[in-house]
Amino acid sequence: MEPPKIWRERRGKYLVLGILCQDCKKKSFPITQYCPHCSSENIAELKLAQTGKILHFTRVSQTAEELMFYAPYIIGLVELDDGIKVTGQITDTKLEDLTEGMKVRMVFRTLSKNGEEGLIGYGFKFVLI
Amino acid sequence: MSKREVYVIGYGITKFGEHYELNPSSSATQALSKAIQDAKISKDLIQSLYFGSLVSNRNDQSYIGAEASRECNLNIPITKIDVGNASGAGAFHQAFIAIKSGLLDCIAVLGTEKLSDFVNSSTLEKILGGTIDYLWEFEQGATLTSLYAWMTQAHMKEFNTTMEQLASVPVKNHKNGVNNPIAQFRREISLKRFLDAKRISDPIGRFDPATNCDGSAAVVIASKEFVESHSEIEKKVKVVGSAQSSDKISLHHRETLSSLLATQIASKKAYEMAQISSKDISIAEVHDSYPIGEILAIEDLGFFQKGDGGKATIEGKTQLNSDISVNTSGGLKARGDPFGATGIAQIVEIIQQMRREADKRQVDDIKYGLTQNVMGTGASVLVHILSNMEDDK
Repeated sequence: MEPPKIWRERRGKYLVLGILCQDCKKKSFPITQYCPHCSSENIAELKLAQTGKILHFTRVSQTAEELMFYAPYIIGLVELDDGIKVTGQITDTKLEDLTEGMKVRMVFRTLSKNGEEGLIGYGFKFVLI
Repeated sequence: MSKREVYVIGYGITKFGEHYELNPSSSATQALSKAIQDAKISKDLIQSLYFGSLVSNRNDQSYIGAEASRECNLNIPITKIDVGNASGAGAFHQAFIAIKSGLLDCIAVLGTEKLSDFVNSSTLEKILGGTIDYLWEFEQGATLTSLYAWMTQAHMKEFNTTMEQLASVPVKNHKNGVNNPIAQFRREISLKRFLDAKRISDPIGRFDPATNCDGSAAVVIASKEFVESHSEIEKKVKVVGSAQSSDKISLHHRETLSSLLATQIASKKAYEMAQISSKDISIAEVHDSYPIGEILAIEDLGFFQKGDGGKATIEGKTQLNSDISVNTSGGLKARGDPFGATGIAQIVEIIQQMRREADKRQVDDIKYGLTQNVMGTGASVLVHILSNMEDDK
């Protein structure tokens, strides 16, 4: 990832902020200029819930070079306690130990490594509670 | 809507597979020049070239259409249409619109892809990452395969779809592919082999995804007025429906993972345009890049009730010469999937069937044929309907 992109996405990737529309009062993720539900510009940042449950999960063994660092890993579709759904890795566990509906909590981890000299990409993953 | 009628008057297709000896433009040129020859018209009559390709810009030369037109010695407008890995059907849709509008009368449409140049599979994974939500799915660690795994899980959970039913999709398509001379894999694979294969992204197994390969396909399309004023044109197939729709790119933003909304909307629009229903379709080429892809397609296109796709497939209701013959070409699975070429290759199969040139995979009594081309996990879907009827409504 290039520095401008990392800098631009920092509030979503690092702080896990979404938006709360001040007009229709609906939440959404990621941060956008307009509310995806009612197209209002009247939005405020919102910290997402830090815990949730696994809806789907599977193994990834082949992906882009910069993401291969931890492969094979588990990728999950998680529904947070505030109803927002996000995609994230489920780490520090084994595939055979997981079942749908398990409770997870968000952790801050390394996501990508761009060679020996490139920038490291950080973001959120999930661990079992 | 414009009443102007649109016909496909010629097609050309290369053998799909690994062609290390061909550079990207040579493959594209082969298909384009075959299509022009098949149309029997002078190439100077072609007014414009629309081409679709997902990765041509990563084959160094971003504008493959220009090289292909140089080899065909054409000085016409060349436009690349981008609908991700559904760019072939996207280009066809735009060409259809251009003729329908009345501005143009004869257009060449080309779909092309050269994927064997990417020897490192991580490069292709990254390219496919661009067809899903790159920032919030791919960079988080998801891949196209893992997202299709979730869609498969959702369908299995909601409708009790079994692994055997899923595997019966590629079993059928490989069987059809045996008789397709341009298919990458012309051999059958047993149900047991699919079931016993190692799981790469559970429940998706090693042999389930279509392979990314090289290939090009082209068609020449023209208005009815053009066809009537050129007696050299011998064969024509009418395009009666052309539609595109979209959906949220990320699975985490969708209401359901067990259907593709974009397929439902696009097919509804295409049926309305053609003034027919799903019951009138005899043959269909659908996007079986993963087994669940075909099951979702045959349900969302209205051939079977939601949830019955797996059962219908294992019962043989989609095999050759059944009520609805699905993927007579072998589909993406056996023919191979050169992204941008796939949408045109699907249309080529329908034309071959309607012109009775499909040899051992020939389906009898075809009324209408349909194609469905999917971008990513369904962020965009194109549906085309071609008619074999002598006199249309």
